[in-house]
Amino acid sequence: MPTSLTYTLVITGAPWTSQAPQTALAFARELVSAGHRIDRVFLYGDGIHLASALSTPPSDEHHWPQEWSEFLAENGIPAVACIASALRRGLVDEAEQARYELTGSNLRPPFEIAGLGEWVEGTMKSDQVIYFHGSV
Amino acid sequence: MSTLIVVDQAPYGSWAGREALDMTLSLAAFDQPAALLFTGAGVNWLRKHQAPEEIGQKSVEKNLAAAPIFGVEEILADATACQRYGLTEDNMIAGASMVADTSATLNSHQQVVFAG
Repeated sequence: MPTSLTYTLVITGAPWTSQAPQTALAFARELVSAGHRIDRVFLYGDGIHLASALSTPPSDEHHWPQEWSEFLAENGIPAVACIASALRRGLVDEAEQARYELTGSNLRPPFEIAGLGEWVEGTMKSDQVIYFHGSV
Repeated sequence: MSTLIVVDQAPYGSWAGREALDMTLSLAAFDQPAALLFTGAGVNWLRKHQAPEEIGQKSVEKNLAAAPIFGVEEILADATACQRYGLTEDNMIAGASMVADTSATLNSHQQVVFAG
């Protein structure tokens, strides 16, 4: 078994509804510090709320979307929110704002919006795909 | 690499099953082997004559009927759960087959994904 493995992390639980994003972030930090590689992070279902630029928790609480985006940027890890999940739930980037003539966009960089094909590619390229669900 | 998508929640009460089905269809669209396993309350997905229009939802029967056309290899139902929920070959949609040993099914796929 290789000492360094490649991981794809899939988050389906929303912040402030579930512990999924926090558990995933702790796991991701451990992976990086142990020398493993994270191929990508894929947000699906309610997990897309993690990529909202409009989340504004009280200042004495953890800001999970901000902490996640800082971690992604520092480590150069691509992160994608599923477009079908995102559009249904009101998460859009500027391109989708223009396409649907919406009043604003709210995607937090470095998150991007793309299709389920990104998840399929992650499952093909990674040694391990780990899912962080909100409820069972 | 074959992937088994497991749906263990009844349809219509949550969106998780629909999104799991989308994942399955997406794998098939990229020519990746994929199968569905319905277990627990999830077997109710396979019931014939679903009529969710009055609660503002579309029937999942059509989506499931499309799965084999898109290349989803198998639609499996946990036989124990079927018995519990009164599902038989007669009131189950076409194309689904019952399995008695779900742990063998889980072990026969390299990747298992549970619906969120």
